[in-house]
Amino acid sequence: MSLTTGQPQARVFSVQRMSTEDGPGIRTTVFLKGCPLACDWCHNPESIRSQPEVVRHAWKCIGCGECARSCERSALRATEAGIERDLARCDACGACVAACPTTAMQRYGEPRSLDSLLREVERDRAFYDSSGGGVTVSGGEPSLQPAFVEAFLSGCRRRGLRTALDSCGQCGAEVLARLLACTDLVLYDLKLADSDSHRRHTGSDNRRVLDNLLTFWGRGGGSPRAPGLWIRTPLVPGVTATDANILAIGRFIAQRLDDRVQRWELCAFNPLCQDKYERLEREWSYRGQGSMDPDLAEHLADTARASGVDPELVHLSGSRAEG
Amino acid sequence: MAATEAARDLVQRIKQPHSLSPRIRWLREHFFRGVDRAWNNEFSCWTTDTRWDVLYDEISYYIVPETYAFLQPFRASSRLAARPVALPRGFWRWSLPQRRAWFIKRVMVEELPQEILPGDLLAGGRFNLLASRCWDRREARQRDRSVARAREETLWFQRHGYGNAGATSGHLLPGHERALRLGWKGIHADLQARLDALPRRERRGSKGAQLRAMLTAASMPRELAARYAALCRDQAEAAEPERQAELLIMARNLDRVPWEPAGSFWEALQALWLNHMLIMSDECYPGAGVSFGRIDQILLPYWRRSLAEGMDRELGKELLRCFWLHANTVYDAMIKIGGNQGITAGFGQLLTLSGLGPAGRDLTNELTFAILEVIDELAPILEPKPNVRLHRGSPQALLDKLVEMVASSQGAPFLLNFDERSMAGLLRQAREAGVQHLIHEGNVHDYAPVGCLENTMVGNDRSGTVDVNLNLLKAVELALAGGRDLLPAVDPISGAEDPLQIDGVDTGDAAHFHSFDEFWAAYAQQTRSMLQRAVDLYERSEAIRAEFSPTPYLSCLVRGCAEQGLDITQGGAELSFVTVNAVSFATTVDSLLAIEHLVFDTRACSMAELVRALRDNWEGHQLLQARARFKAPKYGRDDQQADAMARRVMELWTSECWRHRTRSTGRQFRPGMLSWNYWVGDGYVLAASADGRPKGRFLSNAICPSNGADTAGPTANSNSVGAALGGHAPDGQGDWQDYLNLLPNGASHTITFHPSLLRDAEHRATFAAFLRGYARNGGTALQVNVLDAELLREAQRRPQDFRHLLVRITGYNAYFTAIGRELQDEIIARETHKCP
Repeated sequence: MSLTTGQPQARVFSVQRMSTEDGPGIRTTVFLKGCPLACDWCHNPESIRSQPEVVRHAWKCIGCGECARSCERSALRATEAGIERDLARCDACGACVAACPTTAMQRYGEPRSLDSLLREVERDRAFYDSSGGGVTVSGGEPSLQPAFVEAFLSGCRRRGLRTALDSCGQCGAEVLARLLACTDLVLYDLKLADSDSHRRHTGSDNRRVLDNLLTFWGRGGGSPRAPGLWIRTPLVPGVTATDANILAIGRFIAQRLDDRVQRWELCAFNPLCQDKYERLEREWSYRGQGSMDPDLAEHLADTARASGVDPELVHLSGSRAEG
Repeated sequence: MAATEAARDLVQRIKQPHSLSPRIRWLREHFFRGVDRAWNNEFSCWTTDTRWDVLYDEISYYIVPETYAFLQPFRASSRLAARPVALPRGFWRWSLPQRRAWFIKRVMVEELPQEILPGDLLAGGRFNLLASRCWDRREARQRDRSVARAREETLWFQRHGYGNAGATSGHLLPGHERALRLGWKGIHADLQARLDALPRRERRGSKGAQLRAMLTAASMPRELAARYAALCRDQAEAAEPERQAELLIMARNLDRVPWEPAGSFWEALQALWLNHMLIMSDECYPGAGVSFGRIDQILLPYWRRSLAEGMDRELGKELLRCFWLHANTVYDAMIKIGGNQGITAGFGQLLTLSGLGPAGRDLTNELTFAILEVIDELAPILEPKPNVRLHRGSPQALLDKLVEMVASSQGAPFLLNFDERSMAGLLRQAREAGVQHLIHEGNVHDYAPVGCLENTMVGNDRSGTVDVNLNLLKAVELALAGGRDLLPAVDPISGAEDPLQIDGVDTGDAAHFHSFDEFWAAYAQQTRSMLQRAVDLYERSEAIRAEFSPTPYLSCLVRGCAEQGLDITQGGAELSFVTVNAVSFATTVDSLLAIEHLVFDTRACSMAELVRALRDNWEGHQLLQARARFKAPKYGRDDQQADAMARRVMELWTSECWRHRTRSTGRQFRPGMLSWNYWVGDGYVLAASADGRPKGRFLSNAICPSNGADTAGPTANSNSVGAALGGHAPDGQGDWQDYLNLLPNGASHTITFHPSLLRDAEHRATFAAFLRGYARNGGTALQVNVLDAELLREAQRRPQDFRHLLVRITGYNAYFTAIGRELQDEIIARETHKCP
């Protein structure tokens, strides 16, 4: 939950300027730390835990040992072979990050104040204006820090910046309602239509995910004030990337959601986050797996277009065609 | 994928010409046959045959340090290779401008053969000359003495890392519009009237001599055109009927232009080419920065008239393609010397398309698009260099076309110039120099860039846009070492070291400074003294050129020269400036930031330790070097505190610039940021810098952030550049609207993009929107690079220099060097897969 005393702060793991993939136009995307789901394919493993984490970029290391000297908990040791870490001892205090002269040590989850974040996103106003872009809050799951996100999105709007919220949908309807009130567009993950499968791969069933969709965008029963909606589905081979799953999601969108759905993005799997898992010293069940077969991705996009949704809504990204 | 297949795919990705007629294909292939051609446009050398004759004017090359070792060999060999020209009786009693005008005309009309290529639709083949400077013995001796002194000081300046300076040819926009509209007949009549109107004393003096020389020059295009007309008729006799018809039209065109006003589009292009190429003959300087200006405006009336009279649009484009190939023959100048048949990127016959007109109206027209088609069909080709002027209201169709061309080539085939910021700089210049009657809100939209990207006005402006190139970083070095060099300068030929002594101002031992403010004060003092030194050095070559190297033909095409009876080399142009281009801007800013951070804010080291580390070229100071490189703030990330330092550096040196004028010609100095390739070469001359750069590594390029410093993406990078130039006036009262711009000459800015950011219509639209945003927040000019796999591999080899390379992974972007090696390989493989 967000830290709401005094100057509001958030745990941010990245701010991406000139983002072109998180909503329309040129955007600044603020990635917040912490997620209630734990998708086994997760592309942003550094986003999952709410508490800060320190990682080491070995290619930047010059072996000076400053990090080890700075560590009061002996979580780092300078040896002949290089720097060794003992993650169990690390409390992510950040001393090594300050000490490292080459920025090889990095802490995910630096606290950012509301003011500093608003100041930063405002810098690219000219580019938002020229492109129909704006600010996207992503994660992790933004609704885990609702007070901050609400204040931030409202602050953006007061400054005339358009806002988008990227959510996995695993949150209470009341919290979501508060955030939607200051959001112009929602990017909403719909990963698996089958609830058991959802539980197996993400740690939770999909009941709240679907309920929230119906509550705000349900055909005939949604909230008239809810903003536009982009559905996003990752294509994970053998998990989400099946005809049955894509067809089921397509039918759900076509039959149960109203016409505020503006887009359905299918994001093809690739293994480019593998090194992040290595830096975090975590296992990844997709280790060694290659990028998704572009023909399969195209086939699933065709399936999506034939599922009953307006074919114009379907967009495929991450396949061969985009390099 | 098999290696051969991959290699073929890579080659296929390189942009190829398309839709060329057999004529143009032949002419293009013929051009690339280089020395195997039957004739070419190599320098030919012509002498008055005196013992003291000089053909090669080294002063034009003082800004090219690579040529320093060859200045005297070129001078001697061009004299040895020269053919004598028989002089008329009384030649040596004429004034120098008259001698020179006669000599150039004689060589161009009578001595140098005229040539027309098979199928070519425009005449004007050979023009690269090294012609006698026409000095008599006394002049030659006097000039030699002055040049020896200028050369010595130039070498000293370069050897010590200050930069270079020299009065250079080209780099201006002649009054082409007027020459087409009036014809040389009109120009000639105007000159005659001015001569006749001179009081008798002045007619016999230097003004009369200058006007008479210009009259001689003004008759040259007519006589040359007559020769070419005769040649066309000659060739027509034996030609096939179709070709015969073309040659007869060319002959009839040449009967009229460029003497008479141009009527048709064909005539206008023919006249424009001859008028342009003769400038290069007159200056004996092939092409560099002899630019055309806004040709989609200059040629539009002729294009429209001819289309209305039934010219096939395709013929119009074919004429343009011939014009394009003619422009490339400048490279023949040194076709046998140097690699690649003399084809380098060192020439810049820049042309300009689109842009604002009066009352904020956009001037894009149908000819703009026809020319863009020609560029696209012929690309990749080096000359003429296209520039497109953009502004916040540029039409979407133009942006779409540009982005499509960017996406289909390895990078932008053109320079993008941004009107609002550029015009702000020129209006500031008008105010600083007191020439508001010549540059004001009502005409500033007429500007265009020359050479690479240097903004000037048109037809009345010589701004010496590349003439002084100053390493700002040298002032940091001098401040660190109390006015001395950090390391002794070395003569590149003898290896001898210059003694370490106080060359700058004695600003005291930096180790005794108690605050960054004290260091800044020393830096500011060194900057002032360095600028004075550059101004003094420039004065040497400027005074020599003004006295000994008139260019009467060029003077006919620049307003102010006839009016004042002054050659353009004597400051005759209405707008006469000299531009100081600052080199190593970001390296300088980052070094100052590092000094503040390391010595005063974090106390990571003492000033003495820092100076020692720099003298040791960082060897043995790895930790401090890493802190300087990675922990100190950097310009280029939209970090307002760091960018405030950039602005402070910019304000200091630009305000110093405006305090100087040349003494011999009264030209006002003005600031710009071009860098050409000095940031590469001078990186080996200048000592290690406090930003962590060792000696031997490149300096920063023009106004770009230092290599690797640009970690917050293209928008942040652009914001920093705009802020360094002045940003926007908070009260809305800028130089142009609310825009501020401290650099009237403009600033070179390059950003590198990954092709994936242009991969589909949606992303291309976003990219076009980025350019519109750049018009608001960015600098005066932008060069877009789109990366290919080769560059990605280079990024793997040198990740420290590519930390700013943004790649699209999927659903998000990431910095290429921040992801693991194997995954980089994967992206490179994907890149190769992506080939069409």
